Amino acid sequence: MKNKYFFGGFIIVVFVGLMGYLVTQSNIKYEDNINKVKTENKTVKATGLWVKEKDYTYDNKNRMLTFYMKDAQGNEMKVVFNGAVPNNFKSAQSLVVTGKYNDGYFMANSILTKCPSKYQGQKVQSSGI
Amino acid sequence: MIGSVVLSLALACSIISMIMYYLSFRGYKNTLGYGRIAYHATAMLVIIAAVFLWRILLTHSYEYEYVFSYSSNDLPLGFLFSTFWGGQEGSFMLWILFTTIIGVMLQNYSSKRDDLEPRVMAVFSLALVFLLVMVSPWFKNPFAYIWAEPVFIDLKYINPSFVGLPQLGNFVFSDNSTGQQFIKMTSELRNILNSMGVTVSQFVINGKGLNPQLMNFWMQIHPPMLFIGFSLSTVPFAFALAALMKNDYTKWIKQAFPWVLAGAGILGLAIMLGGYWAYEMLGWGGYWAWDPVENSSLIPWLVSIAVIHTMLVQRKSQSKGGVGRFLKTNLILCIFIYVLVLYSTFLTRSGVLGDASVHSFVNPGALIYLFLLIFILSFIVLGFGAVVYRWKSLSKFDVQDENILSRELALFTAAIVMVASAIIVIVGTSAPIFGQSVETTFYVQMHLPLAIIIGLLNGLSMLIKWKKSNWNDVVKKGLFSLLASLFLTILIIVLGGVYDIMLIILSFSSSFLLFVNLEIAIKIVKGNKKMFGAYVSHIGIALFILGVIGSAGYSVKQDADLVKGIPTDVLGYKMLFTGFKPIDNNTKYAFNLDINKGDVFYKAEPVMYVSDYTNSIMRVPSIVVGPTRDLYISPLGFDDSQTNNDHGQHISIDKGKSVAFNNINLTFESFDFPQETREAMMSGKDFKIGVTLVAEKDKLKIPFELFLINKNGQRSFTSFESDKLNIKVTLENLAASGKVDLAIANLDNNNPNVVKTPVETLSIEASIKPFINLVWIGVVVMVLGFFVAATRRLIESREK
Repeated sequence: MKNKYFFGGFIIVVFVGLMGYLVTQSNIKYEDNINKVKTENKTVKATGLWVKEKDYTYDNKNRMLTFYMKDAQGNEMKVVFNGAVPNNFKSAQSLVVTGKYNDGYFMANSILTKCPSKYQGQKVQSSGI
Repeated sequence: MIGSVVLSLALACSIISMIMYYLSFRGYKNTLGYGRIAYHATAMLVIIAAVFLWRILLTHSYEYEYVFSYSSNDLPLGFLFSTFWGGQEGSFMLWILFTTIIGVMLQNYSSKRDDLEPRVMAVFSLALVFLLVMVSPWFKNPFAYIWAEPVFIDLKYINPSFVGLPQLGNFVFSDNSTGQQFIKMTSELRNILNSMGVTVSQFVINGKGLNPQLMNFWMQIHPPMLFIGFSLSTVPFAFALAALMKNDYTKWIKQAFPWVLAGAGILGLAIMLGGYWAYEMLGWGGYWAWDPVENSSLIPWLVSIAVIHTMLVQRKSQSKGGVGRFLKTNLILCIFIYVLVLYSTFLTRSGVLGDASVHSFVNPGALIYLFLLIFILSFIVLGFGAVVYRWKSLSKFDVQDENILSRELALFTAAIVMVASAIIVIVGTSAPIFGQSVETTFYVQMHLPLAIIIGLLNGLSMLIKWKKSNWNDVVKKGLFSLLASLFLTILIIVLGGVYDIMLIILSFSSSFLLFVNLEIAIKIVKGNKKMFGAYVSHIGIALFILGVIGSAGYSVKQDADLVKGIPTDVLGYKMLFTGFKPIDNNTKYAFNLDINKGDVFYKAEPVMYVSDYTNSIMRVPSIVVGPTRDLYISPLGFDDSQTNNDHGQHISIDKGKSVAFNNINLTFESFDFPQETREAMMSGKDFKIGVTLVAEKDKLKIPFELFLINKNGQRSFTSFESDKLNIKVTLENLAASGKVDLAIANLDNNNPNVVKTPVETLSIEASIKPFINLVWIGVVVMVLGFFVAATRRLIESREK
């Protein structure tokens, strides 16, 4: 009987240890403050809004998408993404970009677009005429 | 009104049914009949509500918010039918619909087995009560009217003949940045319309439509399948609680077994259909991305698989008399299946994962969050509370250990491996709640060793007997499988170029799993076919793992630009882009590719279009399906703005940099973009943006400015000519990031108007997915196994 618990306990410790180790290894933090994104040396998931006024450019030859993103405080950064323009990009209200800030821009390796219209009616901020 | 009333009545009936069934369990004599009537009334009302929802969708009754938000006039019948589950409210309705129907079957089933019915149905009705509260008018009611909460409706959805009415003045709004106009729909507006004799459905004449990504055949099947699986997960919970209520644990295994098997089969199939949809529709080339929504349906499935193994042990060990082994494990896992279904609903529907999922659920409000939390907590307290309450009597049934080489232990280990897998996925999926997230490598690295264990363990356990075995026996029986799998592994290494040590071990372990089960299956094909289920399922798993090794581990991909008319080599295929044609009433474009490899010719047709719904480019991949590999082609972009220009050249210059052209140095100095221009641009007025440049040759230095002119929404560019320098510079584009594109040509050319021939270029990402067919075949085979086993256990459950 004792052997059973010893053996089982050992396996659980190894399993939990391995999982804990891998969680810390593959862990990516969410960051909604762009100033912090800029100083962070690790890969982060930066959340914010696409600055629509500044539009985006897409370089067909090098497949580079360049656009600007801002956080709730209005801090902005340039984002460069190597890949196609994501499907819902134009209607996206907020974005989650995964990558690293370096040399004046954020090099994203993935972009997640979030479209409010998908699951809930679009409520529009507007002013009366 | 009708829909809400019907749903409220259904809620009332389900409460009555629960109470009546509970009273019958407590010994009341004449309450059982009422419980049954109330339950069937609930079912009837839910079906009526569902039919009513379909009716308002099919008749385009846009006075309902749900109809307006998820359907439109142009949807074909099939998709209109599936808009039922296009949004949250409807998908809850679908879940409820299947739950009630399964409840009717469960009532029939349990009424024929001892005194099972009152207990099982009381618990089942309770689950239904909670679900019905979810769609009640306080929460996610699919029958809410569009004016119930003020909502802004784009003018294009409004009947034009009413737009100009002076009474509407107060309700018209416009969005300054886009120039779009909206009507604010409120109950006040509805009253005004009604007083003019206009109904809201005459006023709002079109809806926003369905998300184009959901307009796919598989999306018509996947959600219903998933919700059947979710609904079936209530059943093991109900059986476990029923056993705990009566404090009698012998028969419940036999009675619950077919339900658990059928549930696992259907949920597994549903998960695969979702994966197939992603593969065929989303264009990222994969079938599984460890997305929270995918994960959250995987977790309860993994636990179902675990409990199937330990339930089998309990069932088998009952032959010696007594309740059998692993009673506590089975009860706890059966409770967990449903709790985890609720947890996954919480994760995906409450908005806690807002930032983590492509399924981007917007925060549905604090109220629903709270209710979902209460829902889960109630069932956790109820389920595990009952286990704790009975812990003493449960502990009486604990049984001593068996030999290491017994099939019982192997089955238990299998359950542990499945639970471990479930824990991994739960940890990874729940991380965003704590502001963290894990990369998909986390899941992959954790699952590689588990998959290896599964293969070896299962292969071995099939060779050993119940109770005790000795090693000689095992080796003798497994010799063929061992040799065959070694052979196959070597084949995979040599032919497939598999050199990763973990993948080699995994290939061996899954081959072993395959051959052991294949051998046994062939042996029993002549004998007792009802024993088939387990072996078939395990063959399916083996095929699946082999398919994953091939398609995930050995997929190669390449980006390519295909110029129309020029064949290009991509991944060993010759691809020729022959042009595009409009399809689906000119709303989409299909890009035609002629592909050949040697003498074999294929055609591929990736599609791109701009969706009104998302206001973005949508891309649909094209898949050339082959027996051993798929060629997967995702369109990335199409460009016909580039021109072949014989007498000049196109260049782009970064701000502050220079470029040389025929000894002329061209410097891009700055943008001329004053504040007024910015303001004009923001408010949508006409504007022009200047670009200051300097052309230099020898000592000659000529500064000049080019403009982007935006007039009435039309963009045009200016050009600069200099006789001294013999140059013409035309602005072609500018990017806010600090870059301009220019066309430069010499003026003294015989033909000063440069001949421009447009070049059509299709950019694609091509990838090869070796043996991806095994993934689909594997899952289908596995599911078949589940149904064979479920049928066998259903017949068994009828035996006294």
